[in-house]
Amino acid sequence: MSRRILIIDDEDDIRQVAALSLETVAGWDVIVASSGAQGLLRAAEHQPDAILLDVMMPGMDGPTTFRELRKNPATAKIPVLLLTAKVQGPDQRRFADLGVEAVLMKPFDPLTLSSQMERILGWE
Amino acid sequence: MPPTPPAAPTALSDALNRLWARFLPEIENRVSILEVAAKACTDGCLSQEHRDAAHAAAHKLAGILGTFGLHRGTDLARQVELEFGEKLTRSDASQLSQWIAELRSVIDRRQ
Repeated sequence: MSRRILIIDDEDDIRQVAALSLETVAGWDVIVASSGAQGLLRAAEHQPDAILLDVMMPGMDGPTTFRELRKNPATAKIPVLLLTAKVQGPDQRRFADLGVEAVLMKPFDPLTLSSQMERILGWE
Repeated sequence: MPPTPPAAPTALSDALNRLWARFLPEIENRVSILEVAAKACTDGCLSQEHRDAAHAAAHKLAGILGTFGLHRGTDLARQVELEFGEKLTRSDASQLSQWIAELRSVIDRRQ
């Protein structure tokens, strides 16, 4: 089944690899945003089936972006998966406590990213 | 005997190689930032600005290198990120420089 995914990450290389992975392996439609503020607009406009959201971004970071998404009725129910290169336990727990669907680790495997998302989101 | 992992689909593999070539200058620039900061550490003149730039560069390298199959690169970048996030001393500089040299070598071999 075709899905529409929004990737919000300030790093161009991560955005491009994640988009390539989801488009090539799963055939999903991908929208990208390079900041939290842009991501909020794209999410409301495109109504994606899920959002991959980077944690560390300049300006509005991932947790703040997530809270803003939840405040807006137009985006409040879109599942969000955080993407982070932070490996320390306290960070992981703090992110999980936000109420996101899952916390995915960078680096991700481009070959299995979409199946990992399918499993988490119950899309299998 | 462990099962043979499935081969990456050629289309994805080829496209990843093209992205690698495209982003290589930025990846190499991040390593250069680490090298400059490590040299400053060796010389005992590491500024907060150098340290912050190196910490951010190492964090980004840790996040991307494994995505291109360079898992050793991610491990090394994580070590370097942790070091630049701690109170570095001149005695740490030698180990730091070794990790960064290996990181450079890992990236060179992927090209």
